[in-house]
Amino acid sequence: MRRRESRKRRREAGAFVVACYRHLAACVGGSMDSLQLRDELRQMRQKAQNLATALCHHLTGHLRDKSLPEEQRKEMELLWVAFSSSLELLHVDICKVLKISSNFSLANSASLVQTGVQGGGSEVAARALSLPDLNQTQARILPPSLETEEHSTMEREIAQIDHMIDDMEMKVNVLRWTVEPHGPQYADPLSSTDSASLALVSVVEEQPGPRLQPLCQRSHVFVLLLLFAVILVAVTLSVCVSLFS
Amino acid sequence: MQAASLNLLSKHLVGMVTPTSRPLLLLHIFIFPFQAEMILLEMQDPNTGVRSQPQRLVITTIPHAITGEDIVTWLADRLQIDVQEARSFGSMLVALGYIYPLQDHKRLVIKPDTSLYRFQTPYFWPTQQWPVEDTDYAIYLAKRNIRKKGLLELYEQEQYNRLHKWMNHKWDFIVMQAKEQYRAAKERKKPDRVVFDCQERAYWVVHRPPPGTVSAMDYGLDRRTDPNADETQTSDYYERIMIFTQQAIMRPRVKSSVSIGALVKHCATYIGHDPFLSACLPSNPWLTDDTTYWNLNMSNVETPTKMRVERWTFSFKELLSDPRGRDDFRLFLKKEFSGENLAFWEGCEDLKWGTAATMKEKAEQIYKTFLARGAPRWINIDGKTMEVTMKGLKHPHRYVLDAAQTHIYMLMKKDSYGRYLKSPVFKDTVKKAIRPEEHKFNDAQLEQNARNRRPSLSPIILRQQEQELRAKMAANAPVDITQLCRFTTPVPHFSVYSGIIDPPSSNTSPSLPFLPHTPICPSPISVALDSTSASERRLEASEGEGEQNTEARVPDRGNVSKSRVALSLRRLLKRGCSPSAMFASLSPKCHTAAATSSRIQPITPDEPSQAPPRRTGNFFQIKVDIPPECRIYPIESEDEEEENRLASEEVVGTEEIICPWESLTQQNGTG
Repeated sequence: MRRRESRKRRREAGAFVVACYRHLAACVGGSMDSLQLRDELRQMRQKAQNLATALCHHLTGHLRDKSLPEEQRKEMELLWVAFSSSLELLHVDICKVLKISSNFSLANSASLVQTGVQGGGSEVAARALSLPDLNQTQARILPPSLETEEHSTMEREIAQIDHMIDDMEMKVNVLRWTVEPHGPQYADPLSSTDSASLALVSVVEEQPGPRLQPLCQRSHVFVLLLLFAVILVAVTLSVCVSLFS
Repeated sequence: MQAASLNLLSKHLVGMVTPTSRPLLLLHIFIFPFQAEMILLEMQDPNTGVRSQPQRLVITTIPHAITGEDIVTWLADRLQIDVQEARSFGSMLVALGYIYPLQDHKRLVIKPDTSLYRFQTPYFWPTQQWPVEDTDYAIYLAKRNIRKKGLLELYEQEQYNRLHKWMNHKWDFIVMQAKEQYRAAKERKKPDRVVFDCQERAYWVVHRPPPGTVSAMDYGLDRRTDPNADETQTSDYYERIMIFTQQAIMRPRVKSSVSIGALVKHCATYIGHDPFLSACLPSNPWLTDDTTYWNLNMSNVETPTKMRVERWTFSFKELLSDPRGRDDFRLFLKKEFSGENLAFWEGCEDLKWGTAATMKEKAEQIYKTFLARGAPRWINIDGKTMEVTMKGLKHPHRYVLDAAQTHIYMLMKKDSYGRYLKSPVFKDTVKKAIRPEEHKFNDAQLEQNARNRRPSLSPIILRQQEQELRAKMAANAPVDITQLCRFTTPVPHFSVYSGIIDPPSSNTSPSLPFLPHTPICPSPISVALDSTSASERRLEASEGEGEQNTEARVPDRGNVSKSRVALSLRRLLKRGCSPSAMFASLSPKCHTAAATSSRIQPITPDEPSQAPPRRTGNFFQIKVDIPPECRIYPIESEDEEEENRLASEEVVGTEEIICPWESLTQQNGTG
């Protein structure tokens, strides 16, 4: 049970890192692309690699074990499919980052596309790396030698992930069409949605129905309250008048 | 392999640094040259690019928004083009996904007013190197579903369900990843979150366009090789260059004055009909979203447009390639009683373009109907062509009738076409042709049209309609016997022309009048397949494909109706079924018989007993009552069996049309 919990946590951590990486990758080449961003990306890549290798060994070991009971095997296969898909996503993301970062050199900051992003995404990285705070490096210019070094590191990491994927396919034969998911078709809306940001985003949606819904609900309540208060005041006034007259 | 391509890329970068030392992006877009990206980089330059302003939302402001009119003026200025062209260039940038609109996000055009746009982040730029993944789309839809609490739009809902069906094994992963990405997004500051959502949404509007959005991403199939990549100079490469130049040398040459004259003539003739160069009446549907033009020019329309009729006068090829023109021409030929030429030509086209499985049967039918001696719709081709065709028909292939088809085509072109253009049929058509008025839409109406765009008929339905029409036509084809010889003259006691399918009880087989007088004998094929020969009956007996025969005879007898004819014709075409059945179903005076019965009664009841097993090819054989030595058929028929059969059938004689490629050496029947 504990093993399952730890497995689950690791898997979620892995998925979270991949998700965060994608968020950060979308910032590369944009106006807030900076040394810090690249640094964060690098750190996240490291973490992703570590998690990936650990999970890979774990899953491969289990699935190669012939004596695994059937339902555990099914669970393992589910995990396997999820893991390999996230590896592929990560692979594509790293490739894209490599391409874009090689084209948008930080040296020429005027060529970074003005995308409207203001924050760098360091909060995301902080969450992903589960560090309280990241060092705010002020230098915005990366010496070219370090840049090429970073490129070669990225290429090596890409090759490593490639290798891992190939390895996984070779070692374990999971028939993907036999895997059945447990989860629901529709993801449950997370209950703790920030209503303010929701309102903001739905304004941008420009669809009258959903846009007005959250706002309307609040405004409706407000109006009702006001009305109620007015009625209450009117009632008390009339009572007072009738009492005193 | 990734490393190799990246090395190549870096080489490019090093070698192609421009004087302004801006980095060039070679994201390998096949559809749009990388100049677009250069322009984009210049556009977003904070100093020399398009003026940017902050976008004010309810709670916050987001910078780097640009207005449509600013974009258009900047482009016109920078590229030295006029406003209209700048506008279309801008629209192309939007349609490809480099810039996205902030309001009205589903219409990917530049509106030259104060509507706002923003630059797309390079992560979401269109590139062919990483194809758009359905997994990503599924994650995006799941995220959207979370955010909108289940209120996805209809097309999104459909896509979601489809992806759920096809990527079911990954679904846990997709939902989990969507949740994680949603959670990661919440970590960001609010304006950034909004921007990222807009970016992602714009990306998916470009790559999975909602209904009503024009997609710029339809570029067809990916090429096998990347035309922008350098080709390695191997020996294969040089060999290809050598072959190309050798062929270029060997090409026949024409004097340039001649070829240029031809080009000029072509341009002068067709300039009025080119929708790019002159106005398309009533209006070009691609520009105004109004489909009147297509409706007026459909293939089965009653009154064609004047432009269309004018095209028919340009050349015979134009007339034949337009289905309406072909109909008109067919009508004219029918009046002139030379419809077999066009029918033969169409049959040859059908053979050329049809499926390989039906080729043999089609060739046989065409032979029976048009080429054989004594065929009902015999065409007149010269001896040499006929010889060549017959030789080819022994081993029929797709182009076996090419020579004959060309001959007939030339005949029609030189002879009938000229007369057609002077004929009352054509003059009538010209008089009735309509000239539609030009539409003059204003902007509001254009928008309305764009919103009311609807998809046209599904091609499956169109194909079905076409097939029905063709079958109908084949059923109603005229029987024009132009060649009568003594081989075709019927003998009264033939059961051939009886055409009556008696129930098994009766033994009589009254004869019908001569073929051309049968008003309701619709198909020439049925006529040709006078199929009550004993050989066929023997064939049937031997074939033992009782179920095939009975099934083929299931169509009702009785009055010939188009659908039945079509049905049985289709069956015939599909299975090469026993023509007796077909003939039976088509003949005019058939009684409704029981489904299982209705073998055509032999005249000499002892025929079936003499059934040696025959091959299927034999069912085309119709015996003629002539002494063997008088038969001058294209192939040698020195088969002993043939002789035996002939000898035994002195009483009964039916016309025999043996397909020349069916050599009579095979003995085994196909049961």
